Amino acid sequence: MRQAMSLSVALVGVTGTIIEVEAAIGSGLPSTTMVGLPDTALKEARDRCRAAMSAVGAGWPSAPVTINLSPATLPKAGSHYDLSIAAAVAAARGACDASGLAGLALFGELGLDGKVRGVRGLLPALLTAVAKGLARAVVPAVQLREASLVSGLTVYGVTDLADLFDVLAGGPGAAMPAPVAVAVPLRTAPDLADVAGQQEAKWALEVAAAGRHHLYLHGPPGVGKTLLAERLPTLLPDLEDAEALEVSAIHSLCGVNLDSGLVRRPPYADPHHSASLASLVGGGARVAMPGAISRAHRGVLFLDEAPEFPPRVLEAMRVPLESGRVVLARSEATAVYPASFQLVLAANPCPCGLAGTPGAECRCAPMAVRRYATRVSGPIMDRIDIHQRLRPVRSSMLVNGVPAAESSAVVAARVFDARQRQRHRLAGLGWQTNAEVPGPVLRKELPAPQGTELLSKALARGQLSARGVDKVLRLAWTIADLSGAEVPQLEHLHTALAMRRGEDLERSGDG
Amino acid sequence: MDKDDVWHVGEDIAAAHLTGLGWQVVERNWRCQAGELDIIAVEPGTPAVLVFCEVKCRRSTAYGQPVEAITESKLAKLRQLALYWLQAQHRPIPSLRFDGIGVLLRGGSKPEIDHRRGIC
Repeated sequence: MRQAMSLSVALVGVTGTIIEVEAAIGSGLPSTTMVGLPDTALKEARDRCRAAMSAVGAGWPSAPVTINLSPATLPKAGSHYDLSIAAAVAAARGACDASGLAGLALFGELGLDGKVRGVRGLLPALLTAVAKGLARAVVPAVQLREASLVSGLTVYGVTDLADLFDVLAGGPGAAMPAPVAVAVPLRTAPDLADVAGQQEAKWALEVAAAGRHHLYLHGPPGVGKTLLAERLPTLLPDLEDAEALEVSAIHSLCGVNLDSGLVRRPPYADPHHSASLASLVGGGARVAMPGAISRAHRGVLFLDEAPEFPPRVLEAMRVPLESGRVVLARSEATAVYPASFQLVLAANPCPCGLAGTPGAECRCAPMAVRRYATRVSGPIMDRIDIHQRLRPVRSSMLVNGVPAAESSAVVAARVFDARQRQRHRLAGLGWQTNAEVPGPVLRKELPAPQGTELLSKALARGQLSARGVDKVLRLAWTIADLSGAEVPQLEHLHTALAMRRGEDLERSGDG
Repeated sequence: MDKDDVWHVGEDIAAAHLTGLGWQVVERNWRCQAGELDIIAVEPGTPAVLVFCEVKCRRSTAYGQPVEAITESKLAKLRQLALYWLQAQHRPIPSLRFDGIGVLLRGGSKPEIDHRRGIC
């Protein structure tokens, strides 16, 4: 019995485990068996490796070969084990030096001709390798740029199996392939200045950006809800190093090309309202894959026409909205994905879209308006910090020209300053933005804002939930940060309360 | 050499190989209604082992190694045939085994023998 072992990484969610890939060549009739809970893509690795080894002249043992992926109880998925399987088999039959495999993690999918192809999730896999103390890794040459984002690891690129054997013999590996020139589309980036009027909504957008508050935009069709939401990411500051790594790891898992470096801009996801539960929160049969809420981690999730989403899909976001992560349990493994996203909902007030618009006539039955307004449930609405009503822009403003609108860059600078203030204040407590601060900390650790009796009154009257009080406090802090105040003043609290309660307040007029 | 002669030549070479190892060939091409056993031989030793040999002969490796042609279903057949043969004997057989012998007849060069012991 001849055997050898190589290393790779299994990912469950974005957390990885080092996998020992053992190959043993016995005596008897030729056969190849793979054990250790492989999925279909991995079971087929047997045939890919065999064809690839034959193609480069390395051959496959004409004897019983057993390939074991250890720990055997962990389910393994994907095609990135091909290289480690080929290396272990080659070492077991003495075709290459087994000592070259020590402390070396291998990743890559093999083509039948022996070429090495790119794999999903390389970034989180390499981060795991570093965390577990491995010093070297072999990656597909096409993904060398992605691999170079990880520090503390000697990385060898390979274009085919011959390169791999060269690396195992002490060679330098293949060079990074020349970047493919991609034609940059001539589309100008969205800018806040594109939106005419809507000063109040722009201010709400600025506050949302500054404190990472969830935002609900409602109003008749065509007032600019979608335009505004799309421009929210342009107001957000760049991601911190640690955040960028987290976000890039998820995007790597989703198969996004990371050749241009870490994802530095907050991501933006806007799934259509026909989205399934699995596509939104993540899903999959054996090991769940990330969904839109995880792809929008540290960024913006925009749900346009929110009442059109199936209630089941919307309700599934309740827990991730609070905890900032999503736990997807399956029979074989439980995957945890970060899902700290900023939620932006947009909705019409009724099916025809005109209810409550001055000068327009709504054609819906009162009950239909009511039903439409309650499609997004109370618990979800309660988690939204800012309720912003948009009104049609007066035609005279569009024709005669509005006062020059501020560009995204100008607003982003104010947002950046407000974020700096928050970071400075919250540095000792472990948070970065107002929206993340838990209620008790908000009420006890931070200085008390002026005029909190306003909130007690609203709570006593049942106009605010207990969660709502905290939300208003957080909003007040953000407004204070934007205006440069040390502690929220009464006016900030008033503004926050108005933003939180949106229309109710306007109707009853008792703010 | 004709296609239909290959198996015959292969079995001759395999039998010669076994005799060369000092084994005693007991029976060749034993037939019954269920099929045919290629070679039955005795490997000397203490105790001596009765070995049922399945011979596969090929002229190239274009369809894989000769022994790769011994599939699960052929092994099942081999076991069944062995039982029929044992039933026909009137003496106890203390120890037995199944071997696979691949013979590769590349034109011009010496035949390559691939002897796998204990295949099922």
